[in-house]
Amino acid sequence: MSKATLDGKAIALDDAYRQAASILSGAKFPLVAGLGADVPGARAAILLAERLRGAFDHLASRDLLADLDVKRSFGMFTTTANEARVRADVVILVGPGLTKQWPGMLERLALEQAPVHGTHAGKPRQVIWLGPDAEEAKAVPGARIIPATLEEISGVLAVWRARVGGRRVNLEAAKLELVDGLAQTLKDAKFGCFVWASAVGLDALAIEMMQALVTDLNVTTRFTGLHIGARAGAAGVTQASGWMTGFPPRTGFGRGYPEHDPWRFEASRLIDSGEADAAMWISAFDGEAPSWTRSDIPLITLAPAGAAPARGLFIEVGQPGVTHDAVLMAQETGGMTLRTATAPSDAPTVAQVIDAIMAQVSEVSPC
Amino acid sequence: MLTVLRGGHVVDPATGKDSVGDVWFEDGKIVAPPAGGKADEDIDCSGHVVMAGAIDIHSHIAGGNVNTARLLLPELHRGIRARLANTPLSTAKWSTYETGRLYAQMGFTTVIEPAMAPHHSLQTHLELNDVPIIDKGALTVLGNDDFLLRQIRAREPESAINDYVAQTVGSVRSLGLKCINPGGCESFKENMRAFGLDDEVPFYGLTSRQIFQTLQKATQAVGIPHPLHLHMNNLGIAGNVQTALDTIDAAQGLPMHLAHVQFYAYGKEGSNAFSSAAAVFAEKINANPNITVDVGQVMFSQTVTISSDVLKQFNSMPGGSPRKGAIFDGDANGGGVVPYAYKISNYYNAIQWAAGLELFLLIKNPEQVFFTTDHPNGGPFTAYPELFALLMSAELRAEMMSRLPAEALEHTTLPSLKREYNYYEIAQMSRSGAAKLFGFTDRGSLAPGAIADIAVYKKSRDVAGMFRKAAYVYKDGDLVVKNGEVSHYKRGKTLHIAPRFDNNINKRLDAYYAELYGLPRGIFDVPDAALPHKDAFAEVACKE
Ligand SMILES: [Zn+2]
Repeated sequence: MSKATLDGKAIALDDAYRQAASILSGAKFPLVAGLGADVPGARAAILLAERLRGAFDHLASRDLLADLDVKRSFGMFTTTANEARVRADVVILVGPGLTKQWPGMLERLALEQAPVHGTHAGKPRQVIWLGPDAEEAKAVPGARIIPATLEEISGVLAVWRARVGGRRVNLEAAKLELVDGLAQTLKDAKFGCFVWASAVGLDALAIEMMQALVTDLNVTTRFTGLHIGARAGAAGVTQASGWMTGFPPRTGFGRGYPEHDPWRFEASRLIDSGEADAAMWISAFDGEAPSWTRSDIPLITLAPAGAAPARGLFIEVGQPGVTHDAVLMAQETGGMTLRTATAPSDAPTVAQVIDAIMAQVSEVSPC
Repeated sequence: MLTVLRGGHVVDPATGKDSVGDVWFEDGKIVAPPAGGKADEDIDCSGHVVMAGAIDIHSHIAGGNVNTARLLLPELHRGIRARLANTPLSTAKWSTYETGRLYAQMGFTTVIEPAMAPHHSLQTHLELNDVPIIDKGALTVLGNDDFLLRQIRAREPESAINDYVAQTVGSVRSLGLKCINPGGCESFKENMRAFGLDDEVPFYGLTSRQIFQTLQKATQAVGIPHPLHLHMNNLGIAGNVQTALDTIDAAQGLPMHLAHVQFYAYGKEGSNAFSSAAAVFAEKINANPNITVDVGQVMFSQTVTISSDVLKQFNSMPGGSPRKGAIFDGDANGGGVVPYAYKISNYYNAIQWAAGLELFLLIKNPEQVFFTTDHPNGGPFTAYPELFALLMSAELRAEMMSRLPAEALEHTTLPSLKREYNYYEIAQMSRSGAAKLFGFTDRGSLAPGAIADIAVYKKSRDVAGMFRKAAYVYKDGDLVVKNGEVSHYKRGKTLHIAPRFDNNINKRLDAYYAELYGLPRGIFDVPDAALPHKDAFAEVACKE
């Protein structure tokens, strides 16, 4: 049975929907945040924010925007995990914690196998791992490990890029030889692929440096990149946000049309500054809590059982792909897919709960 | 409810009508004038043109590559006005919702997205689902996919290839088959930077010609109503008209649709070694009735090019404006997104603009040439009304030509073309012919029994204005546009075909996906349950 609570005390679901609608409709500038949901959940949440003339943000926006900022300021080369698996002859893993971001990564990329597509099929694959963490370093047998801290990564990539371009760098002879060997490996690749996850803490600068290197390498050979999506359904939510509004999360509807501003519509800033005067927090995957500090703004939480906050209105939702079938972006294909529930229950989906609330939010009159 | 649109100029090539008359409809369908003649609603359409709802046969409105363009270029689609009631997100620029609203306002009721990658179909369908009001469809893309190329390389029997084509087209819920730079994208992954009709795809040893001929035959054998939709090699390159002429010869008299042909109508004349070769191209099309084309007209504006011809898009990047782009090496074709600004003062762009119009004016049969800007590649679909106006007025064209670089006019026959389209020819191109091209028997027509998709335009000397804001638009008999404004949404369908095939191909494909990817093939499926509404799809019959 699904549950709803108000300040920790059980209330009827219908009452919860009515109260949620009244809190949101009564607000001047409500926020729909977290957005940890499947694609239908994100779609419902964005439609709700639009109708309320509020704003929406995703809990992993910092990570998804790090990638997007590079794409929309510089450009980007990408591929799918499957294409990397079957074709890439040189794979450069960038940064620590990739296998935590994507536990299925090594199985999917099958790095120990030779590529099977292309004229280079059957020749052994070369794997380079720049800055793995200690346990990961041994995960890929035969990989060349280039130690680096997270902060050092963009500098290392810059040096590689300089040497790929034949430019001078200030390095001692032994190190220069190492770097030049690496640069040659990159240049000799037939179809090389960088793999990264902004979520491990890579900033836009490092990602741009990597993509600039990819661009340079594409002058003479083929190179691309595979990015690992951020947590809580970020990749699928970003796509839905894109086709629905033209923009990624951190978008507001105050003027009756979407405006995207990564600073203005950042959830924690909106709440802590008091610009938003009510919030819906959606975190259906794991019940992650909001990062804002203020606790006097009316709050409606949509999260799985057990994740009810002490304060505010809580409506239990199921976990996408666990308790109910869910459309999600599949990291292993780079496309959307319908994931079948692994432990079905009757807990409602985010989309169902929002639709029930939406039914009681009157249409905002146009200006 | 019985409705009559009374006294309008009815232009309906499907029934040969081009005269003042009445159009009756009831319960979402066109009906014959009833004996008693009493309508529940009687709409005076005098001074108006009444046509079936228009069909756009090729417009990139949905899917991962289109969405990449949205996310790549936030600066090109800032909002400017709040939406009206009952139309959520309808003024969110480039959104699927705005797409539905803008098409409906122009009287378009069916639009085909021409490039759906089989492995990314679900997202395309989710996006199409969020295009309100109009009906949609999508063509699936083959011709750079390993499975097919292996089949051809191994000289498998046609029946095996047909099964693969039928299975793929059906399982991703598409309306037909498109082939984009056959073999060229695979070759780009092998670091080839140019790829012609008879170049060989490395690793597979096949030519582009072999690949599309195979798919052309399969399309016919499987009974797909729409002929193979081909995006040829060498798009955009000076002198590429030869590729187009050779491709038409290679079609061997079988039906084939050539996409956005303006981008292939180039010679090498003049001091810029770039000229319009539209005249010779049009002559070839006139002599080959098995060929249909859409134009991909260039309109002078800032736009973005979106294409699964990754090789071409990569080569376009240095000329991009603003200077950024996205290149996606997908499982087969992938895609490239490169912004571009067509300028009236630019010699090359002027030639492109002129070549497109020449094709429109020199191809004699309006049911052989279709209306597109290859949205958004040559310009946005919202430029169609301006294009209608240009086709209907030699004077308007002359006015535009006076603003082009003088040198450009020396390398196009456009100044000599005085033809002006009439309403009937516009309707042939955008209604009856378009319906025939996709095997639609229920639309593009005002014959009794057709669905009541109807566009009513108030006649005006401002032709562009007339077509930009229809006076009335009915979708399935429901009034969705009045005085050029959408009043409410309704849910359109996504049209698809379900060709028959031997089930053995399923076992074979299961084994192929397990072996190659270690994944169940179902991960790429488009199940009904993945869409927000149960009745998202409607089937179009295949040919027997
Ligand atoms: Zn196109």
